[in-house]
Amino acid sequence: MNVHLTRGFAFRAAMQALAVLVLLSVPKSADAVPSYARQTGLACEACHTVFPALTAFGRTFKASGYTLFNTLKVQDIDKLAHSTLSLSDLPPVSAMVMASQSLEAKANDSNSSKASTDFPQQASLFYAGRISDNIGAFIQITYDDQSGSFGIDNTDIRFADVTKIDGHSVIYGVSLNNNPTVQDLWNTVPAWGQPFIASPALQSPVAGAQIQGALSGGVAGLSAYTFIDQSLYAEAGVYRSALQGASVAFNGNQDNNVIAGVAPYWRVAYEWDFGNHSLEVGTFGIYAELQNPTTPAGGAINGSLQHAPTDRFLDASFDTQYQYTDDETQISLTAAWIHEHQNLSASFVQGFSTNPSDNLDSYNVVASYFWHRKLGATVGFFGVNGSNDPLYFGTINGSPNSTWGLFEVDYLPWLNVKLGLQYTAYLKFDGATSNYDGLGRNASDNDLLFGYLWVAF
Amino acid sequence: MKKLFATAIVIACFSSPCAAAEATGDNAAAVAEGIATSTCQNCHGALGNSVSGNFPRLNGQQADYIAAQLNNFRSHNRSDPHARAYMWGMASQLDDKSIAALAQYYASQTPTAPQKGGALAAQGAAIFANGAPAQNMPPCQSCHGEHAEGNGIFPRLAGQHADYLKRQLEAFRSSLRESDVMHVESKDMTDSQIEALVSYLAND
Repeated sequence: MNVHLTRGFAFRAAMQALAVLVLLSVPKSADAVPSYARQTGLACEACHTVFPALTAFGRTFKASGYTLFNTLKVQDIDKLAHSTLSLSDLPPVSAMVMASQSLEAKANDSNSSKASTDFPQQASLFYAGRISDNIGAFIQITYDDQSGSFGIDNTDIRFADVTKIDGHSVIYGVSLNNNPTVQDLWNTVPAWGQPFIASPALQSPVAGAQIQGALSGGVAGLSAYTFIDQSLYAEAGVYRSALQGASVAFNGNQDNNVIAGVAPYWRVAYEWDFGNHSLEVGTFGIYAELQNPTTPAGGAINGSLQHAPTDRFLDASFDTQYQYTDDETQISLTAAWIHEHQNLSASFVQGFSTNPSDNLDSYNVVASYFWHRKLGATVGFFGVNGSNDPLYFGTINGSPNSTWGLFEVDYLPWLNVKLGLQYTAYLKFDGATSNYDGLGRNASDNDLLFGYLWVAF
Repeated sequence: MKKLFATAIVIACFSSPCAAAEATGDNAAAVAEGIATSTCQNCHGALGNSVSGNFPRLNGQQADYIAAQLNNFRSHNRSDPHARAYMWGMASQLDDKSIAALAQYYASQTPTAPQKGGALAAQGAAIFANGAPAQNMPPCQSCHGEHAEGNGIFPRLAGQHADYLKRQLEAFRSSLRESDVMHVESKDMTDSQIEALVSYLAND
């Protein structure tokens, strides 16, 4: 989630295809930020079951623009007693560090190592909190050890307010963000779903939907939303490409995967809270026409953006989340299914796809149990299924299908410190269980053991 | 006009500090409603009738008790885990008038009735009415009222969440929640006696 930004979005053809693969596996940055706790005076458990998963209160806090605060402030008023300044007396700044050790079942080749150490795997600085009475932000700057550089990471700046209509609590607002679903409230969406952290060394399947990270970081999204009675959530917005390290303002720009016009985005969800239980069902999606598209196989069209052809992607998703939360027990069940229709008219003409259109389904089911927010275990099942398209996906048998399992145990000595041991086991990888690359490598050779330390302060 | 003003207070509160909406004599009720409906309700529910046993029901609670607890949160004189995690922050910027107005707001809401029923609840009713003389435990009703409706600084217990009542009794017993009176009353209370009392008093 973070690495893609620092890796840059001006990557050319082959590098962009590679970047898409990496994006699907890189760790997701958490919005478990201690500056929110300092601002509100609330402990982590108010907003998180176990970080970064949000509680019902955490969802309301986020929808309300990160603006709830219980600290002193610097303020001013005009002669009519209207507020002209309302600053927190302390800047809402936080930091986060991840360090890890990875061990792959089998090295990629004779020149590679099975083991890798990442310190820091990631280091982030946050401005996370209230800016004014109705404006708040989550802005993350991240150092990534794979690129060895800093870059802008998840960003969500929002205006929010709350009113009462016919007896109903109505939160409404606008989000300006750089990653479709980063503004979302549930832990089923790609930006905030499981796994919350993954090894930089983890091999990821070649295929994934656009909304699963391929657009993140290189876009600017503006969406309006409402959250009624902390139950019904509705959001609509649009995304435009906002290239990093490049500009579309100059003729001859040949960047890849640039959104033509705007990409519409939607989100509707409903949450029931009863006793210590919470249940959500919803849908989200995006429609994006991408100029100069690249393919998972590495094919790329490089034309002027003034005239570039497009492939068109429609991602429609359904998700559900169940939580049980009390002081002793925190249980979470999440599931998401993303269906992507790929109209590959540009790639097909160029000979980069076998079919003029493909379909791709990505799904996951994850169960998590924590005891006293201290000890936890997570089990997940993930998969990608799609059309057989040898030219587009570039797999040896044309299939993009992959399935894998996730097993993780966690220990939190403090609420803001997590030690985790995670194992990823592939049942199928890029269309095959064995010899998926034609060079004798099996899906299970990509299995990976990953131990990590994750600290936020 | 009154409705418009109440709406304005609501708008001001969750997205800004509750302390900013200072209660005066004239606007106290509107300020309290604004704080309650924009902020407190996220945990304590609409009109104080929370849905989760993690957070107590406040509807129909004794005003003096609510005010005393908010003062204790603000001054950190109550320091059980949930007080620290949630209420120290939420109460930190409340002024005295806002506390008084909030207390009145919740006290004026219709309380939730207890369920009462079953053999376990009958045992609880007996403890509530008669205490447990062998353990030098006086009748609960002597402070909390014949119908557990509360009295002044002694809280309403009737219709509270079972999880919340149980957690508080355990916290008094272990002194995790500070109260000399309630520690004495509960220090010899057995788990089964707590279960019986909760069964009699709660509504879940």
